[in-house]
Amino acid sequence: MLISYNWLKWYIPDVPSAEKLADIITYHVAEVESVTPLLVEEGAGGGDFIFDIKILPNRAHDLLSHQGIARELASLLNISYIDPTPKYKIPESKPTKLVKTIESPNCRRYMGRVVRNIKIGPSPEWVVKHLESIGQRSINNIVDATNLTMFNCGQPAHVFDLKKVKDLKLKVRNAKAGEKITLLGGGEKIMNETMMVIADDFGNSLDIAGIKGGQYAELNKDTTDIILECANFDPTSVRKTAQALNIFTDARKRFENDLSPTMAEYGMRELSALIAEMCPEAIFEDVVDIYPKKQEERELSFSTEKISKILGLVVSAKEIEDIFKRYNIEYNLEVLPPLGGKTSKFTITVPAMRLDLVMEEDMAEEIGRILGYDRVKPIMPKIDFKPKVNETYAKIAFARNKLLDEGYSEVMTYVFQDKGEVEVMQSASDKKFLRTNLTDGLKESLKLNKLNALLLDFNEIKIFEIGTVFKKNGEEMHVVYNEKEKIIETSLDDFLSKNSSSEEHGYFSAEKFLVLAPTRSQVSSKENSYSEKFQMWSLYPFIARDIAVWVPASVESSKVQKIIKENAGELLIKGPDLFDEFKKDSQISYAFRLVFQSYNRTLTDTEINEIMAKISNKIKGNEAWQVR
Amino acid sequence: MSKENKQGKIHPLSLLAQEAYQAFADMGFEIALGPELESEWYNFDVLNVAKDHPARDMQDTFWIKGKPGSVLRTHCTSVSAREIEKAGREGRIPSAFISLGKIFRNEATDATHEMQFFHIDGCMIGSIEDGISLANLKGVLTKFFQKMLGENTDIEFRPSFFPFTEPSIEVFAKFQGKWLEMGGSGVIHPGVLRSCGLDPKKVQGFAFGLGFDRIAMVKWGIPDVRLFYQGDLRLNQFN
Repeated sequence: MLISYNWLKWYIPDVPSAEKLADIITYHVAEVESVTPLLVEEGAGGGDFIFDIKILPNRAHDLLSHQGIARELASLLNISYIDPTPKYKIPESKPTKLVKTIESPNCRRYMGRVVRNIKIGPSPEWVVKHLESIGQRSINNIVDATNLTMFNCGQPAHVFDLKKVKDLKLKVRNAKAGEKITLLGGGEKIMNETMMVIADDFGNSLDIAGIKGGQYAELNKDTTDIILECANFDPTSVRKTAQALNIFTDARKRFENDLSPTMAEYGMRELSALIAEMCPEAIFEDVVDIYPKKQEERELSFSTEKISKILGLVVSAKEIEDIFKRYNIEYNLEVLPPLGGKTSKFTITVPAMRLDLVMEEDMAEEIGRILGYDRVKPIMPKIDFKPKVNETYAKIAFARNKLLDEGYSEVMTYVFQDKGEVEVMQSASDKKFLRTNLTDGLKESLKLNKLNALLLDFNEIKIFEIGTVFKKNGEEMHVVYNEKEKIIETSLDDFLSKNSSSEEHGYFSAEKFLVLAPTRSQVSSKENSYSEKFQMWSLYPFIARDIAVWVPASVESSKVQKIIKENAGELLIKGPDLFDEFKKDSQISYAFRLVFQSYNRTLTDTEINEIMAKISNKIKGNEAWQVR
Repeated sequence: MSKENKQGKIHPLSLLAQEAYQAFADMGFEIALGPELESEWYNFDVLNVAKDHPARDMQDTFWIKGKPGSVLRTHCTSVSAREIEKAGREGRIPSAFISLGKIFRNEATDATHEMQFFHIDGCMIGSIEDGISLANLKGVLTKFFQKMLGENTDIEFRPSFFPFTEPSIEVFAKFQGKWLEMGGSGVIHPGVLRSCGLDPKKVQGFAFGLGFDRIAMVKWGIPDVRLFYQGDLRLNQFN
């Protein structure tokens, strides 16, 4: 979610610098994915910093808004939070004739308010600036007020054109099977009985509850009277409907993560205040608030002992009290046993918006992250475990070592193919089937490696893969390898029975198995490989050349090799490799292979010819040396 | 000069897997393997990832056509869950399990994203008296990353959220002066223990899941995750 630093400052003027703040949020609240400075020259929103904060589902109840983040930071940092409410100037309201009914149990609260005599027009500059700073487009003053409300306090809000709501009667009901709605911005959706709409009494649906408004009651430039809506819906119902209709909106995101119904009050107050500021002539009617089952106040108890045990860090009751004071959380503290006890038991009243705080473990997280997880120091557990050998792993390790010992190199290829017996429903790629064999992948790999054979250190390409294949009746572990052009694929078990001696085979049923599996009894003798570095290969084609040289029989091949190497230049990536030698009379012929390749271009024959000519000249410079 | 291939060259991920298994075996972990084609139950439900909860969106899942309730596993935490359940049934508590295997995510591929890659997931459970804690998790993972990336490697914990752990932690390791995101972890959620047939009042433990290709890429400076699955022997540079 995008958060404007300047916007946060409204509520927490003493907030640390943007740079420091990014670290504080990362280490105590949630991941900051980026901080982007907006330059003053860039117009609206200039001079600000935009934080992209990854709010995960556990804090989506209370942190998907500027006020939410500001409240959290004020408590975390023990700085003052400025409550905006006293600044709101909403005129005294008049009695209303608005009637709202809830017919669906999935609507938990529905607040509405008629406002008359408004004027649709552009938003004040500060509103435009705030919305644009977090990537939102200004539409008109009233729509902007609803969006600003949501990004400011977290409560999604909506506005209907009152003219379209006949008899001022609104209800929340389940859609009818096949009921159609045209959405704001176009696009028709067909609903079913599991979905929920806001509708009038005449069969017109105005809004898909909690997800997106409809075109029917959309505001237009002549709208003067409106109905404000701040509601609360069941998260699962919203999610299922939005998924089925494939609609993603900021309202959906908030409702599907579950919001406290208490938030609707803040939303309504804020939306009303914004409209009052934008339209000073507006006449406000009383809020109609249908709230069938109030959110219950919850208590949560936990002991300091449990928290310390989960974190592996001794946390004192005093530290916890300090946290609750900063977070304005009401608490009761008991010492157990009552006289001179060691354990402190806390009972807190959970803040209404903190739907994530349910059990002791949640408090361990809350206290852990506020204190900072750097307080948790690494401690090795002192437990004598009795691990067993994993037979399948031992078999895989045996097969792998066997093949490596026989000169085979290991490859891994793709599971996804364009044909097979098991298919995935949706895929970001066009290959939707799972492999039924390893042979196809190995064939491809063989082809590729043969093309590159001159670059490799093997005389013959011998490769294998151990992996899972997927058949209609399930998955199976297979082994595949090549014998020249022939590909041999078997199940892991068949591979073992064919390729292990009777003595080795005994391991797979006996306790001796331990010898084959990496356990504490078999510490690897190999040094760790962390000092090695990967060398990326060139993506350009290579050119190979051979050169054969006659020299007196007393000259060693390494001497010739050295001269070739010294004159081959930087484009030589492999060789000179001696691949042939034979003696005739007092002379010996050495044949070398050189491979040239560039990391940034395709080489030409001409330039390689020049290099080879240079090498030939150098060789001829030696008495009795001759290039064949 | 013709010579027979002597020793073949191992795939770098297998080489690193051996080192990783060794590191965990030294700490008392037992190797566990599980199916790649997994049930929705072990991949999600048992791990407290409820149907119709936004937490399901945290992993892009491949669902199997014509087989409702069947997925390509999105992590090896499914294997941890299977092992915890089994250990409880067999009365093998305390226990620790480590599972390294292929997992699948339905996302567009690029240099740092693949649809198939490897995860290394582990868990350690014990009695309340054993008190297997977040500090123990830090101890175990510190040791592991030091084996993988060098003896002076530091790790740090940052707050996060996973449905199967509480508290939930994002693990970062410092490599060449930079903090790098390595994976998720935390203390096992009581709901997960209950789904595995254990009593959270009696059992406590931790679990973690780390991107394994990423560790290899960081360790050796391999620039593109897709290189691991192309069957190109030029990748096999280490032995």
